[in-house]
Amino acid sequence: MTLVKEAPARPAQKRSAAPVAGRRGRRRENLAGYLFMSPWIAGFLLLTAGPMIASLYYAFTSYNLFTPPKWVGLDNFTTMFQDPRWQKSVEVTLKYVVVATPLKLLLALGVALLLAQKRRGQSLYRAAFYMPSLIGASVSVGFVWRALFSDNAVVDRTQKVFGLDVGGWIGNPDYVLYALVALSIWQFGAPMVIFLAGLKQVPQELYEAAEMDGAGPFRRFWNITLPMISPVLFFNVLLESIHAFQVFGSAYVVSDTRCGPADATLVYTCYLYQKGFKEAQMGFASAMAWTLVIAVALVTAVLFWSQKKWVHYEEAAK
Amino acid sequence: MPENRNVERRTILKAAGASAAALGLAATTGCGGDSGAGDGNVTLRYAWWGGEPRTIAIKKTIALFEKKYPKIKIKPEFTDYESYWEKFQTQASGGNPPDVFQNAVGFLRKYDKRGVLLDLKSQADAGNLSLDNFRNGVLANGQVDGKQIAVPVGANTMSLVIDLKAFKKAGVEAKFGWTWDEYFAALQQIQDKLKIAGDTGYFAIMYLYDLYLRQNGKAFFTDTDLGFTEDDVTQWWEDGYKRVKSGLVADPKKIEQVKPKSGLSAGLAASEFTWDNFSIRYQGEGDSDYGLAPIPTTDGKDTGQYLGSLMLSAFSGTKHPKEAAQFISFMVHDPEVGKIMGYDRGILATTEQYDAFKPTDPNNKGVSAYEDEVAKAGVLGKITPHPSGADVIEAAFLRIGGEVAQGKTKPADAAKALFSEAKAAFAG
Repeated sequence: MTLVKEAPARPAQKRSAAPVAGRRGRRRENLAGYLFMSPWIAGFLLLTAGPMIASLYYAFTSYNLFTPPKWVGLDNFTTMFQDPRWQKSVEVTLKYVVVATPLKLLLALGVALLLAQKRRGQSLYRAAFYMPSLIGASVSVGFVWRALFSDNAVVDRTQKVFGLDVGGWIGNPDYVLYALVALSIWQFGAPMVIFLAGLKQVPQELYEAAEMDGAGPFRRFWNITLPMISPVLFFNVLLESIHAFQVFGSAYVVSDTRCGPADATLVYTCYLYQKGFKEAQMGFASAMAWTLVIAVALVTAVLFWSQKKWVHYEEAAK
Repeated sequence: MPENRNVERRTILKAAGASAAALGLAATTGCGGDSGAGDGNVTLRYAWWGGEPRTIAIKKTIALFEKKYPKIKIKPEFTDYESYWEKFQTQASGGNPPDVFQNAVGFLRKYDKRGVLLDLKSQADAGNLSLDNFRNGVLANGQVDGKQIAVPVGANTMSLVIDLKAFKKAGVEAKFGWTWDEYFAALQQIQDKLKIAGDTGYFAIMYLYDLYLRQNGKAFFTDTDLGFTEDDVTQWWEDGYKRVKSGLVADPKKIEQVKPKSGLSAGLAASEFTWDNFSIRYQGEGDSDYGLAPIPTTDGKDTGQYLGSLMLSAFSGTKHPKEAAQFISFMVHDPEVGKIMGYDRGILATTEQYDAFKPTDPNNKGVSAYEDEVAKAGVLGKITPHPSGADVIEAAFLRIGGEVAQGKTKPADAAKALFSEAKAAFAG
């Protein structure tokens, strides 16, 4: 607190008295800052940067956790690309990302539009819709999901009323991935809140002017709302697709730790986990991890590149 | 200025103090667990996998041990089977596995090769552990290359668990020496009369396929490799898939749905191959009565069966090998422990414990009678070796067999996949 208070007085002192002392003072200030940050910095170096560098090294080795890693060059990567299960895991993950992300964002936007309007009990609704996102990551929800989509459970019985008899989604390799998609969509609260914030920023005058010109609700949405919130939409697309690439918990729990049946929910991270911790092929698992990092970076780059075409920032920002 | 400097110094000191405190906190939480050995007391970590009843029983036996050996404290660690080996692998690679832990044949060579298992012979020679009085030669199950790296606590064998009511209603009888043809004919009769499947999915169980191979003069594993050909397993899975299609074997989708319940106790099928000591779970899970039936044979005689074991091993790097050996010895020989554990981990391995526990409930009695019958029939052979990597191959066999059952992989492709995964597992 004291530091902040004294800050404005500083430039005057510096100029009049001794520039050297001032520089020293600034250094002290920095030092204090670094000291305050040091637990975090230590944590970052020990728990994040260190393991990352280690895993980058392991990616080029054969490492079974017990015997020292053996340098194998690009072997892990070549075996990986030829591994049918790895190919399957890429396929499953892409399917998941492509299906789950747009659906989740669509629902988030839809509900945000509804909740942006002023009505009684608004905050209650917002809280209610946001709730699943808070508990969504927990293992217990995975179990609930398993129970909901099992044979002869709620979903199955409801389907049967409409004459759709698939016998539950969990045991069926053709359907089980969609149970995970449903779980992801259900947790639409976080992007919804961000959409809500974006919608609040859209100037009311624009709508009024458009209405005067006779624009209907759909036109107003398409020509005003969507362009105005496109930065927020971009942010959500980016965040949610990165998130979807990393899906693990739900797949692991819903499929009873086996990412199946018949590898139907073998998402990328699930296979990575199996390779690393069940089969003790840490080198291979590290290679997989770095491939994922590169893939996600590429997807992010493409999204950033594409934003020029569809994301509109306000005039001031240009 | 001087004031200013003082303030800054104080701020820096505070920051430093806060950081040091935070790091210190992290450090203290990081290194818990090691017990004070200053007073001559020793703490051993003891890990096992299994359900709740086993955990309750084992905790009772620990209390008993601590009473007899007041200087040794036991710290229990337990999980279910799946997470047990993942956790163990990580602990062991970090040089920090439990001092004493439950083990099984599929993992012996793997962890022996990695130097994790203590050769208990030296401890036996020093008089800390008795290797006497093991029944039916099961002590050999814990031996690899002349070393005693594990000591059996119980013995069990593969069996066929049947829904007694369903078998009776369909008018079929499971008898000793019946052949696979007779078994499948019985399943057909069950399907015709009761409109349910006969079996829950036999063809993905590695240990059953092992029996079938042994009946035909082969085995699932040799010392270092698979003991069968791609053609063998292709045939096995083709037959299996045919039987799923015809409804003789339960729909794999349904079997998957009812988990963690078994397909048998859920009423999806009338029989299931499993270890005989697992049969105890069905009575609690299902509505019918369940019993143990003989394994079908190829020639009317040889079932290929052997006694498998759950075992106790000690960590090669334990700081207290003597106490670990004493603990294992107590756990496998003490009659009181036998009374508490019953047949939860198989028929008790030593005569002291076997004689001390007389089952009174029909489940345990059934398991005991079954093993007596198998032993009397003289069909028990020696356990076949499980090379390092066997655990990974067992999981692959189950998964790939499941893919075949679901119609997602053709048997020939499945066989190829199994062999290529096995190659990687042996190399690992």
